[in-house]
Amino acid sequence: MADKAKKENSNEQAFPLEQAFEQLEDVIDRLQDNGISLENAFSEYEKGMKLLKQCNEAIDRVEKQVLMISESGELCEFE
Amino acid sequence: MRNVYTVAQVNSYIKNMFTQDFMLQSIFVRGEVSNCKYHSSGHIYFTLKDEKGMIACVMFAGNRGGLTFRMEEGQQIVAGGTINVYERDGKYQMYAEQIVLDGAGVLNERYERLKNELLERGMFSDAYKQPIPKYIRTLGVVTAPTGAAVRDIINIATRRNPYIRIILFPAVVQGDAAASSIVQGIRALEMRKVDAMIVGRGGGSLEDLWAFNEEEVAQAVFDCSIPIISAVGHETDTTICDFVADLRAPTPSAAAELAVFDMGALDKQLGEYASAMNGAMEYHLERKRTALQKLKMQLGYLSPINQIREKRTFALKLEEGIQDAMERLLTKKRHEMELYVEKLKGLSPLDKLKQGFSHTSNEEGRTITKVSQVAPGDRISIYVSDGKVNAVVETTEKREDGR
Repeated sequence: MADKAKKENSNEQAFPLEQAFEQLEDVIDRLQDNGISLENAFSEYEKGMKLLKQCNEAIDRVEKQVLMISESGELCEFE
Repeated sequence: MRNVYTVAQVNSYIKNMFTQDFMLQSIFVRGEVSNCKYHSSGHIYFTLKDEKGMIACVMFAGNRGGLTFRMEEGQQIVAGGTINVYERDGKYQMYAEQIVLDGAGVLNERYERLKNELLERGMFSDAYKQPIPKYIRTLGVVTAPTGAAVRDIINIATRRNPYIRIILFPAVVQGDAAASSIVQGIRALEMRKVDAMIVGRGGGSLEDLWAFNEEEVAQAVFDCSIPIISAVGHETDTTICDFVADLRAPTPSAAAELAVFDMGALDKQLGEYASAMNGAMEYHLERKRTALQKLKMQLGYLSPINQIREKRTFALKLEEGIQDAMERLLTKKRHEMELYVEKLKGLSPLDKLKQGFSHTSNEEGRTITKVSQVAPGDRISIYVSDGKVNAVVETTEKREDGR
């Protein structure tokens, strides 16, 4: 239970984009294979779209402030 | 009167004192060059001075290898050599064997020594280099909070990825406190668990950059569990920190480019993946659609309507066949019949009539074959080949033999 929560948490924090990209390349390779069955194509496609979605979600699209560590060790806004 | 010495004795005595002094036999003196004369013999005579004093110096022609630049008035230099007494004049002077421009010299030597030491310890080995993660969320920066370096890093990092989180450790990067401040910064950011770190400062003299050549800093960079990009000064400045870091950037701006991925490029990449997948999928669907169309056509051929149509055609053909056969049969029979007609013709009474025989019938049309069938006065018809003769019986005669 704790493990699972931890795993999910770490997934959320650092979705490995590079790994996802590798997987996406593989998915595309398989999708571009003429011999693939339609069923498999659908499942690969679904997998790929899911990966893309995860990639997008992995990027926290909120503009960040530049922070500075103050002398007391606290973070404060830098500017 | 106490002992009295000659001038030469005194000077010799003093010279001996100088010679026996360990420090004076190998000393480095910093000062400003003045009164510099390159003598035709190859010797160089000059004076080193500072605010509080001066010392005469000579560099003999044989030691000129220790000087790599043209000495000029006003230069700050460090001269290395011995200090001894020129007995004839009773003056002490420096015999320089090595002369370097100030700062560079001493520091360069320290730099080379530490560099070799750390190299031998393996601290520059690629085996210890950590890769810089390609997609980081939090960037740590150890540099001065003012100046171009921090601005460049922030500008470039946020331009490439507006969503990047930057934590700055405002370090002292110059002077005595610099090394420990930089070390403190590296450790503080390591504790903050940033994804990667830039450690550096803008350009400056060798002295300005010196903290990045301190062993303390090198060790901290080496020990840090988080990948560090070193970005000290300009492209031409190389520090120990550069060697020991996981990656060396020529400038702070370049470090920001190396550390922070380009969000635009990432978006483009994701878009390309999406369109590649959509394209492939569309292709498969189109192919299946075409295949389906083909099957549909094939199925159309096999539909009952076609079967019925085909059967009907077949039936028609059969019908035609039957008719043909029938016709042929009839023709054949007709032909046979004609043959019979011809045959019959040969047997026909008409033919006999043609040969002169005739056939006689009474008024009722009955054939007369016996005399007894008629009586005189009866009307009879005699059929000949081309018609009939109507006659009246006059007499009858019966043949005796009865035939």
